[in-house]
Amino acid sequence: MFSTSTQCKHWMFNSEEELNKLRENANLKHIQTYGRHINEAQRYDYFLTAEEEKIMVKRYEIRLRDFCKRFQPPMTRCVIGTAFHYFKRFYIHNSVMNHHPKEIMVTCIYLACKVEEFNVSIQQFVANLKGDREKATDIILNNELLLMEQLSFHLAIHNPFRPVEGLLIDIKTRCSLNDPERLRPGTEHFLERAFLTDVVLLYSPSQVALAAVLHAASKLQENLDSYVTDTLFGVDGRGKLEELIEAVRAIRSIVKMVDATPDRNQQKLLDKKLERCRNPENNPDSEIYKKRMQALLDEDDDLYQRISSRTDSLDNSALNMSVCASPEVA
Amino acid sequence: MEDFTCPRCKTSKFQNPSLKMMVNVCGHGLCESCVDLLFLKGSGSCPECRIPLRRNNFRIQLFEDANVEKEVDIRKRVLRDFNKKEEDFGSLAEYNDYLEEVETIIYNLANNIDIVNTNKKIEQYKRDNREQILKSKGKLGREEYELEEMLEFEKQQTELRKQEIIMEETETKKKKIREKEALIDELMFSTENAKNIVETFAQQAKEAKEEEAKAAPAKKTHFSSGIQIGRQSQSTFLPVPAEDGPLFVYKPFVMQTDGPKLPNDEDVIIKGYTNHVRSENEQERAGGFRSNIACMRALQDAFSGLYHVRKAPVH
Repeated sequence: MFSTSTQCKHWMFNSEEELNKLRENANLKHIQTYGRHINEAQRYDYFLTAEEEKIMVKRYEIRLRDFCKRFQPPMTRCVIGTAFHYFKRFYIHNSVMNHHPKEIMVTCIYLACKVEEFNVSIQQFVANLKGDREKATDIILNNELLLMEQLSFHLAIHNPFRPVEGLLIDIKTRCSLNDPERLRPGTEHFLERAFLTDVVLLYSPSQVALAAVLHAASKLQENLDSYVTDTLFGVDGRGKLEELIEAVRAIRSIVKMVDATPDRNQQKLLDKKLERCRNPENNPDSEIYKKRMQALLDEDDDLYQRISSRTDSLDNSALNMSVCASPEVA
Repeated sequence: MEDFTCPRCKTSKFQNPSLKMMVNVCGHGLCESCVDLLFLKGSGSCPECRIPLRRNNFRIQLFEDANVEKEVDIRKRVLRDFNKKEEDFGSLAEYNDYLEEVETIIYNLANNIDIVNTNKKIEQYKRDNREQILKSKGKLGREEYELEEMLEFEKQQTELRKQEIIMEETETKKKKIREKEALIDELMFSTENAKNIVETFAQQAKEAKEEEAKAAPAKKTHFSSGIQIGRQSQSTFLPVPAEDGPLFVYKPFVMQTDGPKLPNDEDVIIKGYTNHVRSENEQERAGGFRSNIACMRALQDAFSGLYHVRKAPVH
């Protein structure tokens, strides 16, 4: 039930402005932490701006979609939708420069597979990737917990796909529209584009679904307005109708604006810039990262050693219990 | 127990079915005939660990593991001195500490840990608590006391029944004799036909017997129900801790859909919603997945959240 979900409580935002503000904060925080030595004026020569970060994220969303579509065995739509949600949520509070979107993207997809019960092993998963698979495995598994933590462990996602089914069933039952199945291709196309925007962070999945269905209908020169106003909302929902119409209009206009063909030259420049300014602590190719991982491992070893030595000493003291206990008897 | 062999003469249970393994305080086993042979004089040393042993300390091995046997032996010996009862302690914690200490001593002795110190400790305890040990030996624990009481009660009951049975028997005998005498008297002095008299008496005897048979079972139930088991009345269970605070009040679940009103479960079928979904196959139905459930879920998802309104922007 969406209305009682964590999605509704923690991951619905008021406006695109609010989202952009949060992203700017994440960008600023990163720069303040790692860029003290650079003065204000030159700061953005070195670091990415919030706007550039946003472009990066958008681009990786497209890559995420393409990767999921090519994935073998084929994924269900829910996995893709959930992965999109995770990816978007992650970069609301995190900077691209801190965690490279390429890594977070695959981690999101891997986690989404698990959550949506699409059963693939990590080997099967990385078989879909190019390049060093072992490294990719390490990256995914290392980042998985980080990702979940950044999602505040709110892993249940309400996607708009089932609401679409529900609306189609309702239309078939209560509306005299001729062959509602015709709406399906248009709806799917709309939802695919919708996932490249922020609408899923602003509107409830059923609203997005309704917008998709209405959009598909208008593309076919059909009119579902009377279905929405009279049948779906009826007398009880009259007061809410205005809000909904506004929401649907907003969703449709946001989705219309989506630009799925990014500028390649700009991309190359951004990639280079990011490669220079990304946080080396989280870059698996950097020395610092390797050292940090080694330190973590050593720490684990240390911890293990400490624990085992403590249990050893406990055992010993337990065996010598008679010596300790003797004064009590005397 | 089957594959036991005597460590000295290598006789096994297979060769000699009547083989009896004996064990002494050191925990090493020996068969009965070897014990007879080695300890002819009454004392000798263990063939395995050379500890001097006395013959009358040999016992039949009850457990397969000689170590267990040894532990049982040590336990018996230690508990003879450490014979405090729960009643001797102020609190349960003290009693538990005491028990733990005893277990430590037994464990140490059984596993040869710190024998010298442990033995010293036992000696010390014996010296310190001599009077108490003697007293406790005579005194029975609460449990033993209860058992004793039960036995006593049962004894009394059987005694009572025995007496009753004897009484009854003598009564019936007397009755028979009386009847016989009455019959003879009747035959002697009556002017009626002898045959008739015998018949009426036989009839009477028969009736009396039937009556007795009827009465007997009733008596029996009375007896068996009358028996009271001593333990039940004495030991009570711990009281169940009462939970304080306000009582749980059931509130029916109200679904918050935040959307238009949903058709109810029947409507989904009656109004034809289910005509537009795939109907379940046999396996799915066996698992309880009906198409109306899936249909309902889709509708729920479609309707809930339609009224969702973004929070007023915070400035």
